[in-house]
Amino acid sequence: MATKKSEEFDQVDWNEISRSGRFDLSINSIGMLVTTLPLVLLAVYDWQFLGERTPTFQFVGVDRGLESVDFFFIFTLLLAFWFLVLPLYQNPRMTRYYWKEFKQNRPAVVSLVWLGVVFVGGIVGPIVMDPPQQELLIAYQPPVFTSVVDTTPATCVGEVMNGRCYGTWEHPLGTTNAGKDVFTMIVYGMTISMQIAFITTTIVATIGISFGTLSAYAGGWVDEIMMRFVDIILSFPTFLMFLLILYIYGGGLGMFIVVFSLFAWGGTARYVRSKSLSISEEEFIKSSRISGASTYHVIRGHVVPNVASSIITQLTLLIPGFLLFEAQLAFLGIGDSTVPSWGQLISAGRSDLSFAPWIVLAPGIVLFLTILAFNFLGDALLDALNPEAEAENT
Amino acid sequence: MTSDDQPLLEVEDLTTTFSTDDGTLTAVDGIDFDVETGETVCIVGESGSGKTVATESITKIIKTPPGHIEGTVRYKGRDLLSLPESELRQIRGNEIAHIFQNPQEAMNHCYTVGWQITEALQIHRDVSDEEARAKAVDLMDRVGIANASSRFDDYPHEFSGGQKQRVMIAMALVGDPDLLIADEPTTALDVTVQAQILRLLDDLQDEFDMGVLFVTHDLGVVAEIADRIVVMYAGKVMERGDVLDIFDRPAHPYTQQLLECLPEFGGTGGGIPGTLPDPHDPPDGCRFAPRCEYAEEACRTGEQPEEVEVAPDQQVSCVHYGPGGNPSIVRSEGHGPGDGATGGDSEVGPADD
Amino acid sequence: MTEPLLSVRDLKKHYPIRKGLFNRQVGAARAVDGISFDIEQGETLGLVGESGCGKSTAANSVIHLEEPTAGEVIFNGNGREGATRNTDGTHPNDVTKFDDGELMEFRRGAQMIFQDPSSSFDPRMPIGNAVGELLKVHGMSDRHRRRAIVEDLLERVGLSANDFDRYPHEFSGGQKQRIALARALVLNPDLIIADEPVSALDVSIQAEILSLIDDLQEEFGLSLLFISHDMSVIRQICDRVAVMYLGEIVEIGPVEEIFTNPQHPYTEALLSSIPTPDPRAELGGIELRGTVPSPTNPPSGCRFHTRCHKVIQPEGVDIDQGDWRGLLNFREKVITGEIDIEQVRENVAGGGTEPTDSEVRAEVRREFDISETVDDPDLEETLSEAMNLLLEDNAEMAGEFLSEEITTPCAETEPGTTVHAPDHESACLRHESRAAAEPNPADD
Repeated sequence: MATKKSEEFDQVDWNEISRSGRFDLSINSIGMLVTTLPLVLLAVYDWQFLGERTPTFQFVGVDRGLESVDFFFIFTLLLAFWFLVLPLYQNPRMTRYYWKEFKQNRPAVVSLVWLGVVFVGGIVGPIVMDPPQQELLIAYQPPVFTSVVDTTPATCVGEVMNGRCYGTWEHPLGTTNAGKDVFTMIVYGMTISMQIAFITTTIVATIGISFGTLSAYAGGWVDEIMMRFVDIILSFPTFLMFLLILYIYGGGLGMFIVVFSLFAWGGTARYVRSKSLSISEEEFIKSSRISGASTYHVIRGHVVPNVASSIITQLTLLIPGFLLFEAQLAFLGIGDSTVPSWGQLISAGRSDLSFAPWIVLAPGIVLFLTILAFNFLGDALLDALNPEAEAENT
Repeated sequence: MTSDDQPLLEVEDLTTTFSTDDGTLTAVDGIDFDVETGETVCIVGESGSGKTVATESITKIIKTPPGHIEGTVRYKGRDLLSLPESELRQIRGNEIAHIFQNPQEAMNHCYTVGWQITEALQIHRDVSDEEARAKAVDLMDRVGIANASSRFDDYPHEFSGGQKQRVMIAMALVGDPDLLIADEPTTALDVTVQAQILRLLDDLQDEFDMGVLFVTHDLGVVAEIADRIVVMYAGKVMERGDVLDIFDRPAHPYTQQLLECLPEFGGTGGGIPGTLPDPHDPPDGCRFAPRCEYAEEACRTGEQPEEVEVAPDQQVSCVHYGPGGNPSIVRSEGHGPGDGATGGDSEVGPADD
Repeated sequence: MTEPLLSVRDLKKHYPIRKGLFNRQVGAARAVDGISFDIEQGETLGLVGESGCGKSTAANSVIHLEEPTAGEVIFNGNGREGATRNTDGTHPNDVTKFDDGELMEFRRGAQMIFQDPSSSFDPRMPIGNAVGELLKVHGMSDRHRRRAIVEDLLERVGLSANDFDRYPHEFSGGQKQRIALARALVLNPDLIIADEPVSALDVSIQAEILSLIDDLQEEFGLSLLFISHDMSVIRQICDRVAVMYLGEIVEIGPVEEIFTNPQHPYTEALLSSIPTPDPRAELGGIELRGTVPSPTNPPSGCRFHTRCHKVIQPEGVDIDQGDWRGLLNFREKVITGEIDIEQVRENVAGGGTEPTDSEVRAEVRREFDISETVDDPDLEETLSEAMNLLLEDNAEMAGEFLSEEITTPCAETEPGTTVHAPDHESACLRHESRAAAEPNPADD
């Protein structure tokens, strides 16, 4: 052990500091590993030991099943917690700085609140609320504070006055043609939207960042081949591919997410490559290299964090595309009709638009607001996550 | 041309503030100076002293809002700050031209250099394309670009830094300006190229009979080209006057310390301890007081001291020269007017008598 | 101890230029082309030159940020003193031949400071971690110990221990350079390479940083390779100076020698381009025209001859030096086809009448600063003959003619080094011819 008193740099005996045992994991990685392990075990248990139709948590008496998309969703949530939320807490100065920059953008703050509602609703909603039940008797109930001609619903749950049926708090956003509660369905749709958002982002970011940095650092013909591959990915007719798979294997939400995110990372990879190339020209990279750091250390410690914060914007702006696409597919009737997404709800209400517009309007507005919120958020993040650009302006 | 008794440019009580999230930032705080036809006035100061903002306020190229400009800027007797934007545009780039520190950033890399010069020309002059081209080639030739006609169609990236700055100067000259505002035009360049550009500016000034307002932090450059100096610190003018007077007998402690940073002035190194005050919340009294070795209680209260004329055409804003002050605290009295500034014994420092 | 801490021998760094489908190498940019120098323990060597002269490449090659093409970088720090050459002529302390482990050790012995304070720190890393990163990379896994060392060091460079958790954007340029110094020092190196560490700073801050460097150097007995384009900065901090031009060192010597008694014309020109803070001094001295030529195809002979104000006249010619320079420039422009006689005509005409030939001739002379008649009748005839050819629109012939008729020894012979005083060497033909004439050159 070297001197333990006042440490001074010129009294370090470097020969004494052993080069062994350098393999230390950060608290984030340890946390990630520790929390992923039970998840993986549960998934294996669900897959290997439980029947196709047996709910996952039957052994604790809860009648609720998890599907592969759910497992993956939880995994991305863990990732986001350990490598996004926790670092923000660990670096309070930077977080305060980001927040100071971010909060200047009022629409973005409102957007963040809205997305927070969607997020929490999507996670908590399905746990506390029962799934929407089909009740044909109470079909076409109007939303609260509105009324329809009392011939529209089969029976009116609320008051009937002057031949009009009034909405009640029991079904705040009305019901569908099958008598399902629209509000509940929207909350369940939040889960789907959040799953799409988180899983696609994770897949796109993982492939895009690894591919982009690898390409930038390999250089030469490896770079050339990798980038031509990106060209192919970018020009691939994903929609046709999806239709094909749909006809051959049939498609669910998982299939949608996997297919579309596997063909959506091209732009991200390209962006990451050019960004890594420009970052590796920076003097702090040189300085890290002459400190003796390995290429892996330089990429992991400097290039990826700097690239990541600038592609967050890009990823945020990618999500609305996926959400819209899912809604469009559902509307066209080629989505998975068992998935309670907003698109499916819109699709279900499209034929009743003339006399029961709320079935389309309510999820439509929610979808619109969510997409708008992601766009505002991306815009604000672009400004907030760029301390160096800010420093030059002052 | 202006009449003889009226300066080309008269700046009075110019104040530029910016509204930011942390409150109002006062970048320039009531400064006065003027520029005569054919003379070079240097604004000297550290970065953050407000010198660039001051020059950019003259023709209002500062974005307003967040910026806010007050005071009077009289150019040939007209108050520029009260002119409508359309008239100001006629003056800007035409009668008053700007060149900036970084030629790389001031040029559009998508167009040829010649195109950019002719465009600048055609904004202000109604000339045919051929005439514009001829004039542009002529200007490029005058700023010392060899083979101007063949380089006309080259893109900015085909020019070196010094050549780009020459092109920027050519663009500034399209309107035969009477006043050229040069904001650190040589800071980004090599010393050898800097010497070339300074020489060029000197020649052009004679040729075009321009007034030049030159912003720099380099006192070496100041000594080479300036006729008069304005020393700025934290948005205020500390001292102004003839270059010879200020180099021989710097009155303000800040000027003295700036000069002492130069090894030729017997500088012992170490710079000026401390940093510029926060522009959101400037200190009371003299802005320099927190870093000044001669600061007394009187320096730290009230407003920036009134300017006092310590010599013909040399004004200084320092308590020690004002009523009741004792200049000998600050000033070494040993200097005669003819003392060479480069001599080893011309150290500017505290008086010891 | 007589052994220098660092000794660089014939260091070269060439960047291949590749073209075509198969990336065939068609040439090389010789950024650094055979430089040699020594740095003693505790000494500061300045490396000065215009941008594009290869000084930063030299630094990167010395610190092994880039693999040099050829040459030796012998580093005798880190307790490797006193090594002798191996039997096969290689040196055991040659950085270019170090294996990974030795290189890691070399990193602890030599560190670097960069020019741009805004880009030399990771914007997303607290500066304390940025400084401590080096300790971590070198195996110090105790976080508290790292923090203690970095906090102590931050205080030593004039910041406070509380700055550990702050981010780069919260510091001014001068403060960032202080942190950069801390980062360079944290492994307790013997050598620091400073690549233009103050040229992005204000003069008043420059002075602060320079004096800090000076203090730290004294305290820790550091050696410094200080790169700058600014001669006045070099004078403040360096013990010796090496002047670089286009990949080569043209003059090297003690700083006072170089400033008071420069031998190479390029050094003279560099010195005279420093703005003197004397308002009475005229703008003047030697004007260095144009820019550094491309390192892909450097001029033959002495690389400076294309811009040199003291370029040698051939045997038997003795004309005004300005005229001679003008003639050479004229020759160069004609050969490269850069002179456009039509353009000159237009310029003279200025939209008026067609100019006469003699007006055009006068204009060409004015452009190249050649007087009305050159003192030497032969050269005068050559010049007018060449202009005739040009006026007949026969630029190619004119070029061939001039390249035969006007020659300078500087373009033909590569200068060797001349020793002017102990430790003061330069590479200029003017000295060589003098040295040949008088075997014992006096340096006054």
